[in-house]
Amino acid sequence: MSTGPSPAGPPVPPQDAPPEGSVTGLQTFYDRAGGLLVPILATLLAFLIGGIVVLITEKSISAPFQAYKAIFEGTGLTWFIPGGDQAEAARDLQQTLLITTPLILTGLAVAFAFRCGMFNIGGQGQFWAGLLTAIYFGTHFEGMPPVLHVTLTLVAGILAGAVWGGIAGLLKATTGAHEVISTIMLNWIILWSGKWLLEAPDGFLQGRDPSLPRSDDVLDSAKLPAIWGTLQPLHAGIFIALFALVVYHLLLNRTTLGYEVRAVGFNPDAAAYGGISVKRNYFLALAIAGAFAGLAGAIDMLGWKYRLTSTEFDANLVGFTGIAVALLGRNKAVGILFAALLFGSLIVGTSPRQLDPDVFNPELATNLATMIQALIIAFVGAEFLILYLWRARRRVGFRRPREPEPEGA
Amino acid sequence: MTEPPLLELKGITKRFPGVVANDHVDFDLVKGEVHALLGENGAGKSTLMNILYGLYHPDEGEIRLRDDAVRIDSPHAAIDAGIGMVHQHFMLIPVMTVAENIVLAVEPRRGPFLDHATANERVLEISQRFGLAVRPDARIESISVGMQQRVEILKALYRGAEILILDEPTAVLTPQEALELFQIIRSLQAEGKSIIFITHKLGEVLEIADRITVLRRGKTIETVPREGATEEGLARLMVGREVLLRVEKKPAEPGEPLLTVEDLRVHDERGLEAVRGISLEVRAGEIVGIAGVDGNGQTELVEAITGLRHIDAGRVVAAETDITGESARGSLEAGVGHIPEDRHRRGLVLDFTLAENIALKDYCEEPDSKWGWLFPKRLVARATKLLKEFDVRGGGAQTLASSLSGGNQQKVVVAREVSRDPRILVAAQPTRGLDVGAIEFVHRRLVAERDEGRAILLVSFELDEVISLSDRILVMYEGRVVGEYPPSVSEEELGIAMLGGRREAVA
Amino acid sequence: MSTVDETRETTADRLRRLGEPRSVAIAGICLGVLGLFLSLPPITIRNVVVPAAVGVLGAALGLWALTRGQRKLGIWAILASLLAVLGALWLQSESAGELESVFSVGLLAATLRFATPLAFAAMGGIFSERSGVVNIGLEGMILAGAFFGIMVAAETGQWELGIIGAMGAGAALASIHAFLCIHLQADQIISGFAINFLALGLTGYLFRSVYGTGGTPELPERIPDVRLPFIEDITFIGDIFGSMNLMIWLMLFTVFLSWVVLFKTPIGLRIRACGEHPRAADTVGISVFKIRYAAVITSGVLAGLGGAYLSFGFGGTFNENMSAGRGFIALAAVIFGNWRPFGAFGACLLFGFSTALAIRLQGSPLLPSDLASANLLQTLPYILTLVALVGVIGRSRPPAAAGRPYVKQ
Repeated sequence: MSTGPSPAGPPVPPQDAPPEGSVTGLQTFYDRAGGLLVPILATLLAFLIGGIVVLITEKSISAPFQAYKAIFEGTGLTWFIPGGDQAEAARDLQQTLLITTPLILTGLAVAFAFRCGMFNIGGQGQFWAGLLTAIYFGTHFEGMPPVLHVTLTLVAGILAGAVWGGIAGLLKATTGAHEVISTIMLNWIILWSGKWLLEAPDGFLQGRDPSLPRSDDVLDSAKLPAIWGTLQPLHAGIFIALFALVVYHLLLNRTTLGYEVRAVGFNPDAAAYGGISVKRNYFLALAIAGAFAGLAGAIDMLGWKYRLTSTEFDANLVGFTGIAVALLGRNKAVGILFAALLFGSLIVGTSPRQLDPDVFNPELATNLATMIQALIIAFVGAEFLILYLWRARRRVGFRRPREPEPEGA
Repeated sequence: MTEPPLLELKGITKRFPGVVANDHVDFDLVKGEVHALLGENGAGKSTLMNILYGLYHPDEGEIRLRDDAVRIDSPHAAIDAGIGMVHQHFMLIPVMTVAENIVLAVEPRRGPFLDHATANERVLEISQRFGLAVRPDARIESISVGMQQRVEILKALYRGAEILILDEPTAVLTPQEALELFQIIRSLQAEGKSIIFITHKLGEVLEIADRITVLRRGKTIETVPREGATEEGLARLMVGREVLLRVEKKPAEPGEPLLTVEDLRVHDERGLEAVRGISLEVRAGEIVGIAGVDGNGQTELVEAITGLRHIDAGRVVAAETDITGESARGSLEAGVGHIPEDRHRRGLVLDFTLAENIALKDYCEEPDSKWGWLFPKRLVARATKLLKEFDVRGGGAQTLASSLSGGNQQKVVVAREVSRDPRILVAAQPTRGLDVGAIEFVHRRLVAERDEGRAILLVSFELDEVISLSDRILVMYEGRVVGEYPPSVSEEELGIAMLGGRREAVA
Repeated sequence: MSTVDETRETTADRLRRLGEPRSVAIAGICLGVLGLFLSLPPITIRNVVVPAAVGVLGAALGLWALTRGQRKLGIWAILASLLAVLGALWLQSESAGELESVFSVGLLAATLRFATPLAFAAMGGIFSERSGVVNIGLEGMILAGAFFGIMVAAETGQWELGIIGAMGAGAALASIHAFLCIHLQADQIISGFAINFLALGLTGYLFRSVYGTGGTPELPERIPDVRLPFIEDITFIGDIFGSMNLMIWLMLFTVFLSWVVLFKTPIGLRIRACGEHPRAADTVGISVFKIRYAAVITSGVLAGLGGAYLSFGFGGTFNENMSAGRGFIALAAVIFGNWRPFGAFGACLLFGFSTALAIRLQGSPLLPSDLASANLLQTLPYILTLVALVGVIGRSRPPAAAGRPYVKQ
């Protein structure tokens, strides 16, 4: 693995081209390609291929259309279209926004690390760190005033995520251990530790009934207030997520910390030359990334989950979906908002609760959603494929349109 | 012309986005001659040769070999046509041996296995035939640059090259190593090989070439025989106007010492000691030049002074502040400015705007920021002013640094460093890869900064740059200062010192 | 003419190096490990003095090296020796019978079994990265091999065809990765991640679609064990090698073959050239694209084999996401083994051992009941991977061009 700079690495043989193709090199490309072209085409193409898979396995021309129609109706986005069953659409839309909320935050967790030149696959583990901590704080401190209890629990979740992300950052800063491997390992470590805390006899998070592998419910004083709907309503956490988007944007573009993070992400050597501590920024960027993901976990717990059951560990992919969100959203606040909404809709639309099993088996649909996410990541990652397809009529070759630039004033 | 040419390039045109690198270029090569291709950086020499070697594809024009039109669309085709190339940046794999590098892609086999013994044998054989001594089982990363160049030449000869392209071959050599190279070229010529010699150095051309073709801005200007050619005449052809070969400057008026380095020891990436006990002093109002072949510890010395590399032993004092063991920030706050040797790797964040680049060292101080809050508008305002003052063309404060030409990028770096009003300025390779106009700008600016009373430490591999700018010259060899000379020194004398030939007491 | 550099070391040089702090520190680490080993079956010295003496000697060597500049290695030696002494003290207090229930020949046999999928994937990773393409998609390729292998085996009733199916599935995913990374110059980490996600979704989708909730059907035949009558009866050796699974033999052969191909054949030289300096390879007429395609597809085939062993060599079923991070552990093994087949194999054995040990320690009286939980012990291989990754960085040298797309001009 050599995408990350290794402090004691060997001198690289001279290459005429500046090192592009790095994580942050992509950012520049996006900025220049400007626009929505790549994300939108990538999304369409991913849905097209997903449709072909449905077509093949269901052996029916109409199957993909029916499946996508059912999925779309399950998202509640029809609420915006007048007519139809507004009440049901509203309930569906509440679910979509409920899922969009943590996705915004885990998307930010990936995006922030990206801007510092790192690929944070550990959003999932940092999410767990926040969630597990929130259970503890949410089920204790009985009698605390609600505002204080919620604040305390959210802060604890943020810190837990920051610690879990910060470990990977610290390892990268001090030893150069590649964050891709270390964050994946940390994901598994916290997953099994979480199961242990929940399932072991006298487990730390084990609920009152030790025969059930689940935690107690968080106390009412720690629950986030509902803002829309009655049965599993949308909660105030969505405002926190929207606020986090603003914080992300300002932090990156309007603070010296953001300047340092971006400089390190684009060119660590030049950043060091400018007097910026590269190691400190690796650590901080992953800790802050972890804080976003930890907040997602805490909000999910205080907003609507209220308790943790053992099966949750294998089913939850919020942190991984955050990667797709960040990539599709081009690491920008507005992009992340819309990408999170897209994936939130996709997940809700394919969930067993929303999808009519007579039209399309929800268990298949959940995996279809995973596949579509993967394809979107692949196509956004390979934007040249998209641009190639777009320009195919102009017969532009596969090759990257980059040629050495002769120097001279 | 008495003989029909071995090779002919006719009307070669190559366009890159925004530039025409080669504009209907004509060139021909007679068997057994050394034909120099002369031009400044960016004149299109390398592009033309990369076309001949099949690395680029021309938009127009044809290549004729022994009077037949040929298509060379890959290095493979070039090799088959008997063309070999020694690239400016060597195409050698550092972790492999000399023999492995030479036989790569035409390996001798024994059954399905690579036959190392035969490979070594054949490499020895061919190295003896052409008088190019190498050790087949030495690793590339452990041999000298001059030796690596021989390996490159052998690589071409091993593949049966009749035409040899040498791209700026002396750029990395000492004058003495260059003389050795010229002997090698003459012996190759005697064996009937034909050589294309790419360079921007006038002296070399007059020494080695039989004919000289001058390129300027992608166009063939003229092909002249060596007889009758002069440095001044060639320079005029190359640049298109009269060129001042010397920098105008007044005698230095050195003041108090500003930069003091005492018995400095520093190691490189591989953990080897690269700077082995260097002491030097730079006074206010003087330029101290460091001459030496690349890789003798200059990079590590500069990085140690500017806080970018760990110091093992010794002391660095900048304007009465001890900055030994300080970070880059400590060094720059003590008043050390730094024009780094590689503006793409270090000097600029290419994906940042010019305003952001100019703020690279001040972003955390007022007025750029306050309490961690950045003021982008102030960055832009300051940058706009500086860009105008330093006559940076090709973009404004909001332009990305990557979209500027090399010369303008370097002006941005110089603008940033000079505008911070440093007491000490460390300039490493400040004119690398620039054209004559930009070189003149940088040189004038350095002299002006000297006259302002700054202490300037100049590191350069270009001997004439060191000689024409410096008030005192130190020669570095294998991590030590091996001699101090006045600017009146001859290139030959410096060259001998650069090879460690003579040691003098350091003043 | 200047003289030729002297670079090859003589035997005398090597002997001299034995006295250097570095070698001494390594000896200290070995002594520490040995000290622990002495307290364990089959040796089981029931006397604390011997292991403690060895440990103290190791610590002394570590301290000596520490004072002579080998800080990192010296500390490792002291830590290892400390572990030996503490381990010996603790093990003395346990009964020999209980020790033997955990530390038996079976443990070594299990080590090999758990190391097998890792080693296949690691060899794949070496080929891919040596050619200059970082392949974090190994995880997904293992998963695809596991699913498609067992599916083909179940459909046809022949395990041989199942193996071919697994290889094909790995190769197919690898081809996508190769196309994205080589032709489209996508970021190699993003592409690899997309491959993992795609494999997760696709295998999950087909698993549910083909087998529903019933899981994979009972196979008529798993991959057979190879019985060696001559060896079977020899104690110790026979217990391990007497009837080992065919895939384990194939894995051992693959490791050896990988070494031969990479370091003893012309094709290996070319692969390594592409990974170190692709432009140099290109200028002598090697097709960097072809070599990289071949290497990446080979990595997919090998990872697919690892998957086949996982699903129908070792167990007999497929579970969703059953690769469980093994692709990433294999990558860590590649780094740990310095991109060399035998080195990486050694690391795979270490990780395999940790998994085998974790399983044996479940519920074992050797540990307090809280810690003997299966969930907690599951974290052991991941923690060990993280520690190994941290410990090795700086001494391990990746191929210089790994991770960078090659742009032909």
